[in-house]
Amino acid sequence: MDDTTYQKLKHFFPQVHLGSESESKFRSLWVPKSFDRSELITEAGNTERYFYFVLEGVQALYILNEKGEKVVLGFSYSGSPSGVFDSFIYKTSSFTFLEALKPSKMLAINYENYQSLFELDPDFQTWGHHFFRDILMGRLYREAELLTLSAEERYIQFMQRCPKELQVIPQKYLASYLNMKPETFSRLRKSTRY
Amino acid sequence: MPTLLITPENQIQRLNLLMKKIDQLQQLETSRLTTLPKPKAWSILEIIEHMNIAYMFYVEKIDAALAKSTDHNSINEPFKVRAWQKIIIMGQRPKDCKRKWKMKTLRKFEPIFPNDLSQEQINEVFEKFNSLYGHLKQAMLSSRQKEVSKTKITSAIGPIVTFYLPECFEFLLSHAERHLVQIEETLDSLS
Repeated sequence: MDDTTYQKLKHFFPQVHLGSESESKFRSLWVPKSFDRSELITEAGNTERYFYFVLEGVQALYILNEKGEKVVLGFSYSGSPSGVFDSFIYKTSSFTFLEALKPSKMLAINYENYQSLFELDPDFQTWGHHFFRDILMGRLYREAELLTLSAEERYIQFMQRCPKELQVIPQKYLASYLNMKPETFSRLRKSTRY
Repeated sequence: MPTLLITPENQIQRLNLLMKKIDQLQQLETSRLTTLPKPKAWSILEIIEHMNIAYMFYVEKIDAALAKSTDHNSINEPFKVRAWQKIIIMGQRPKDCKRKWKMKTLRKFEPIFPNDLSQEQINEVFEKFNSLYGHLKQAMLSSRQKEVSKTKITSAIGPIVTFYLPECFEFLLSHAERHLVQIEETLDSLS
């Protein structure tokens, strides 16, 4: 991994301050992975093998409903974590797919190496606390949005806060994430300012 | 008749779960794998071998159909199964974990084993399963960005049934799911 890439990774662990020996160990645990557009990074029915850090691209996490339609649960993008965390942590079959919506470059760490981080330095415990707290708050906020806001309000909130690279992915994924029909999303895109 | 829409993602998910369940059977004792639950019924290993034989008829046909199919820029929309093919597929698909109706197996699909199977021969059956159904998985993945409604595959029972690739995958998967139910029934009757 080159120095620029490593700086991006370090930025994802702001609570962690490592000595040179631990730093070189930490750096060695990550493996670069590349995925083509539309490639399935993780398949439902398989166990997630990696925790990812995204360098480039956008990925969608989705589940299939009874009709076989994709229901988008979330996205990952440059600078964010990615992967199917429940399957990764509990080593159980995933119920969700992770798909690259754009050509993607990611850094991956396997389960054993991920666990070893928490023994490498106590700062990783602090990072873990913040990381899972933020994930939990994010999910609670999204649940409240889905239950209380109108389609237009959900659209505005999302477009105001989402990174630019998410605004150019296929509309059907964004519509599904916002729990609206693609036609509704398209209409809102044309008629709503945010 | 309601439409049957199929997607490769749905098929991939089901196939992954099926392959995991077959893989777990490898932990069973040899006697459980090879005992017939009743005379004229198949043992678990014979059922898996039957699944292998059934799939082998399609390997080259699927490869040829994929090679002929042109690439797409985007992921396919859900595929609408044709009426006759839907009847064939639904005849295989188990409902509520039960096989809907039982049918006589054509001789060419029957598994034939010697009386005493070695551990090596048992392992071979599982390895063959993983290889063949791994092939099916790769074919499903490849088909996601292919034009799949141009090339037809003749089924193993002849031109009376032809499939487009997604229909063929669905038929093979439903057939395998049907036999997974049979395996579970066999396990129940052996315990």
